[in-house]
Amino acid sequence: MEKLLNISSGPHVRDRWSTRFIMLIVSASLMPAAVLGIAFHGIHSLFVILASVASAVGTEFIFDKITHRPDTWKDGSAIVTGLLLALTLSPNSKLYLPILGSVFAILVVKCFFGGLGRNFLNPALAARCFLLISFGSDMTDFSVKNGVDAVSSATPTADLLAGKAVNVTRMFLGNTNGIIGTSVIALLIGGLFLWAMDIIHGQICFSVLIGFALFVGLFGGQGFDPRFILAHICGGGVVMGAFFMATDYTTSPVSKLGQLIYGILIGVLGGLFRLFGSAADSFSYSIIIANLFTPLIDMYIIPKPFAYRRKAIEARQALAEAGIESRTEEKKTFLGRIPKPVIALAVITLVSGLALSGVYTMTKDTIDEQKRIAKAMSYKAVCPGAEEFEFPGEVEAWITENGGAVYGTDFGRCYINEAVIGKDAAGDTAGYVVSVTTADGNDGNISLSVGVDEDGVVNGIAFTELNETPGMGMLCGEPAFMGQFEGAAVDRFELLKGGGADEEYEIDAISGSTVTSSAVVNAVNAGLDFINNVMKGGE
Amino acid sequence: MNGSFRGGVHPPDMKSLSRDLPLQEFLAKGDMVFPLSQHIGKPAKAVVKKNDPVLAGQLIAEADGFVSANVYSSCSGKVKAVEKHRTISGQMLECIIIENDGEYTQADTYDTRRDVDGMTVEEITAAVKDAGIVGLGGAGFPTHVKLMPKDSAAIRYVIVNGAECEPYITCNDQLMRSNADEIVEGTAIVLELFPNAEAVIAIEDNKPEAVAAMQQAVTKARNARISVRALHTKYPQGGERSLITAIAGIDFPVASLPADVGCIVDNVGTVYAIQRAVVYGEPLFKHVMTLTGEAVSHPGNYIIRDGTCVAELVEASGGVSDQLKKVLAGGPMMGFALTSLDVPVVKTTNAITMLAADPVEEAEKEMTACLHCGRCTTVCPQGLLPQMMADASEINDLDRYENKLYGLDCIACGSCTYICPAKRPLTQIFKQTKAEILAIKRAAAGGK
Ligand code: SF4
Ligand code: SF4
Repeated sequence: MEKLLNISSGPHVRDRWSTRFIMLIVSASLMPAAVLGIAFHGIHSLFVILASVASAVGTEFIFDKITHRPDTWKDGSAIVTGLLLALTLSPNSKLYLPILGSVFAILVVKCFFGGLGRNFLNPALAARCFLLISFGSDMTDFSVKNGVDAVSSATPTADLLAGKAVNVTRMFLGNTNGIIGTSVIALLIGGLFLWAMDIIHGQICFSVLIGFALFVGLFGGQGFDPRFILAHICGGGVVMGAFFMATDYTTSPVSKLGQLIYGILIGVLGGLFRLFGSAADSFSYSIIIANLFTPLIDMYIIPKPFAYRRKAIEARQALAEAGIESRTEEKKTFLGRIPKPVIALAVITLVSGLALSGVYTMTKDTIDEQKRIAKAMSYKAVCPGAEEFEFPGEVEAWITENGGAVYGTDFGRCYINEAVIGKDAAGDTAGYVVSVTTADGNDGNISLSVGVDEDGVVNGIAFTELNETPGMGMLCGEPAFMGQFEGAAVDRFELLKGGGADEEYEIDAISGSTVTSSAVVNAVNAGLDFINNVMKGGE
Repeated sequence: MNGSFRGGVHPPDMKSLSRDLPLQEFLAKGDMVFPLSQHIGKPAKAVVKKNDPVLAGQLIAEADGFVSANVYSSCSGKVKAVEKHRTISGQMLECIIIENDGEYTQADTYDTRRDVDGMTVEEITAAVKDAGIVGLGGAGFPTHVKLMPKDSAAIRYVIVNGAECEPYITCNDQLMRSNADEIVEGTAIVLELFPNAEAVIAIEDNKPEAVAAMQQAVTKARNARISVRALHTKYPQGGERSLITAIAGIDFPVASLPADVGCIVDNVGTVYAIQRAVVYGEPLFKHVMTLTGEAVSHPGNYIIRDGTCVAELVEASGGVSDQLKKVLAGGPMMGFALTSLDVPVVKTTNAITMLAADPVEEAEKEMTACLHCGRCTTVCPQGLLPQMMADASEINDLDRYENKLYGLDCIACGSCTYICPAKRPLTQIFKQTKAEILAIKRAAAGGK
């Protein structure tokens, strides 16, 4: 009994969860993405991850030793930062990138600002942005080194923005060009796990996704087509950002309402940058910008204790009216009772609304311009000999009159949008191009341009709008299908549903997607018919 | 209403150490020590002096004013001294020390029933006041004050608190199992004071035996104004405010009293004491208490006399293991750590918890900077922002602490400290900051 008893103020029990435990769980939740990343992109990804984690932890260790701080490197947060950074890098990254990035993240973004819980930017993201700015080309080298088609270096998001067909299923799995942590399914598993464990706040991750989806749906030009929106969500680090970056504790607001606003802000900014900005990997920037808003949000949105919220006050007033005297009810006017958060909210909404509409008007012309360029590029693709295109007056007149009606009788629901004559450098006719839209696609409209040369040989087709089922109808956009049209000197193609095409005019349908295939063939036929009967017939 | 409060935590309840051990009486042989202040309010005034002979149940100190409480001797013997002695809070306070003759001769047998039905409201409250009853669940607020709100007609709920949400403690569980009828009678007596109220006996659902026993007693008493409610097991369910939120569905600022929102909350032990006082005229000098913890050889639930030396009880119960690290008066969430075992049990001591491991010591090793994880906010039953409060306190921004963050509304329940993965001593900071702010206010008021 003669022994010193421990003295301290209560409570005298503690939950088992510690900082380190949480960090380890977060790291564990990133493992599926890391493992799939290595599986899809090769062993070099593993080295990138290891280099990043090791230098993150090492930097903090050295900083602790030099500044004689307590051993904060043990708390596991550096592991998370290192992992997150690595997963946002290209699998081709030279090892100096993860090392430099981690040192920057830990030393500059975290330690210089006071360490864990004090940094105002997300360290991994800030480091990624730093690398993007400093080593842009190395950072965006996504070319496939060991794959079969060693040519393509564009990420699906870049393709998506260029109006090209993308394969959402592959994006979902992560088997595409892109960062190491590109597997949406793996990130989702990890993220939902963290959410279920109550480690990340649903208010943040889901509002990011919803904000982004709404924005892309409203301004993406394709309406709320789930496939289009999903393709956007699956690419460009949106899922990684929503679940692992935006939810970073230190750089997100404290209150639930604040978290909602912050999440939506990220989603909207992300959508804005994605659709109207220049870089496909702009999602990082939206989070970094929202990080900067966090202190502001926290300053204005301070939830009141339960007893001071309107509901409780009203309940007590009701009691008071029922005859109970209440001693401490503060008599505040309606305005005096609620303003701060509401005003802040109103201001934030107003400002972002204004900013958005401003940006939209500013970029609207560019969008039209971009669409025009996309169309011009498709014309060029199907009429390679042409230097410029001429929109003949009589064709224009024909379209003004008949363009709104279904073209012909045996092409399904096809509409002619535009038809031009390609002229070569000498001003001679190089070919004809027709832009056709068919409403018979499995999932809405399909638009394409058909090009024919002077001699009636089909140069090829190019899609300007294609939103078919990924992995099925979407395959129409692949060379294997499109290529069948090239070089055929015919004025009508025929679709073979069973395969085995050997004549010029025969086209093999994509198995399982005969609806899409036949819509495409009909559209091409409509285009050819238009060239032969309206354009040339008019001569 | 909605049956629960928001927030809260689930610490391991550790009640299995003692939950099924029936109450046993403990009669100490050594000196008994009675602090003059065992309650909130002014200390009582001693009415005995050195060498006076005393009997068990004899008044030895008298309430000084309205918010104060009488103190009775729990043993027979003679007054040894009236002097400062160490108490449970660690302070040296004025105490009456009685040399115990071990006979426990009582001033009265306290076994003849009085005619309760004929008693007026004044008689009932007077009996409670005379008996020196204070709130046994918590801070020891004099019960007669609580029973006399400004407008007793406005009281809608009398909540009898049998939640016992603190880990380890089981004495009220046992009391409800063995004395359910008396508790129901006590409840009926309290209801006499409040014509428009209904009584709810609130028990956490981890005590099914107590719920059943109380239910049975209520059915037997055929009093339509009394009901039993099993509540969700969650700390701090037994906090006055959490109970009111759960049962009356109302939140109110700390500056208000439960009576302001039409509620009176009394612990089951208090209600039992009221029954003893009103029906039998027995003053409060014994109550139930749990001796528990991993370091105690034989945990148990006791009917303990006020003034009993903790060390003597522990010794008599079979001693402690040499693993002993920490001793708490009360449970681990809200209890005090004792500096010494040579302190007397007082009216409000509902448990002595002897820990073989000190989680605080272990937590200190794992302490990190705040992660901003928001767990503290999620669990705070008051809806406060502990993380921001701690930051404000750290930079000594007391204005923000008090007015922006409503820091004075913290009830020091400990949930935030319990849950914090960074192991920050949040509640501890809040207790200190509150004391600081109140001291400044007092100084300002005094300076005028
Ligand atoms: S101790 Fe205070 S701040 Fe912490 S949870 Fe309890 S009431 Fe909230
Ligand atoms: S629980 Fe602890 S670490 Fe988390 S926000 Fe609150 S104080 Fe910070």
